[in-house]
Amino acid sequence: MQPDQILQFVNVTTIVVGAAIVFGTITAALMEGRAVVRAFDDMARQPSVADRIRGILFVTLAILESTAIYVLLICLILLFANPFRSAFGF
Amino acid sequence: MGIESVFPKTLFRVLGIGIKDTVFQTWIVMAILAALAILASRRYRLWEPRRWQLLVEYIVEYVENLIIGTGGRAIPEIVPYLTTMISFIAIANLLGLVPIFQAPTRDLNTTLALSFVSWGSCQYYSVKKRGPVGYLRSFVEPVAFMLPLNLLGDVSRILSMALRLFGNVLAAEIIGAVMFMLVPLLAPLPLNMLGMVTSVLQSLVFTVLTLVFVIDSMGSQEDTSD
Repeated sequence: MQPDQILQFVNVTTIVVGAAIVFGTITAALMEGRAVVRAFDDMARQPSVADRIRGILFVTLAILESTAIYVLLICLILLFANPFRSAFGF
Repeated sequence: MGIESVFPKTLFRVLGIGIKDTVFQTWIVMAILAALAILASRRYRLWEPRRWQLLVEYIVEYVENLIIGTGGRAIPEIVPYLTTMISFIAIANLLGLVPIFQAPTRDLNTTLALSFVSWGSCQYYSVKKRGPVGYLRSFVEPVAFMLPLNLLGDVSRILSMALRLFGNVLAAEIIGAVMFMLVPLLAPLPLNMLGMVTSVLQSLVFTVLTLVFVIDSMGSQEDTSD
């Protein structure tokens, strides 16, 4: 395989990973923000159930966060264990 | 300490199967859990409980309250199982903060094994509550058309639980390693604190999801018995 082809492969991988992590985390961050806003709203309105809401909020945030984590996993696979690397022969 | 040190390494091979260093880190977690159990149960006292006994009782009580809060009723038979699961995953995640150790849950094999245990417990309680016929019928529950979707749901449940835990722990370790490469002094500390929160929270999330699925697999048969 030619060195310029390897360079092109590395360039494309890096750009794609950068774009993927940006666009992948945007949705997760926005939706987590919405969840937090609603939770704080309800906590301020009904402080008696604030502890319950906080507990559920953390678990929900961790589950929402996992969508961003999936994006991160794909990016890590592309960067460190790219399955097409062997097809290109390096 | 480069970023490659985060990924699990194959130490040696037995019959062509690579044995990774996460196996020995899992043994360390098991040793910590066993030591905790011995410390807590040695000279067990109902009145004037000691420090270690109080710690374990706190975790057990937390899990009991979690079950009551989620399922609406106390289910004593799954309390030891869930307590073991939450403490194992929490200690395994937090092991990554100890200097020479690394978290065994940063290996996908460990988290897949854990989620297979979770899935297997769902099947066990489903068979126990509904009987073999009711268990098989639960796959075609609303209509027979739903059979492939139910099977797909089981597979994706296993995968999503394993990948969630794996990704969170690996992300925390990689962030720590990258910050350590850039600025070794004091800069990784706040990120490690965030990693601690994530570690404990992910063990709680894994346990809560297992609890929800177990309660779901038990079905509403409980209502008729009492």
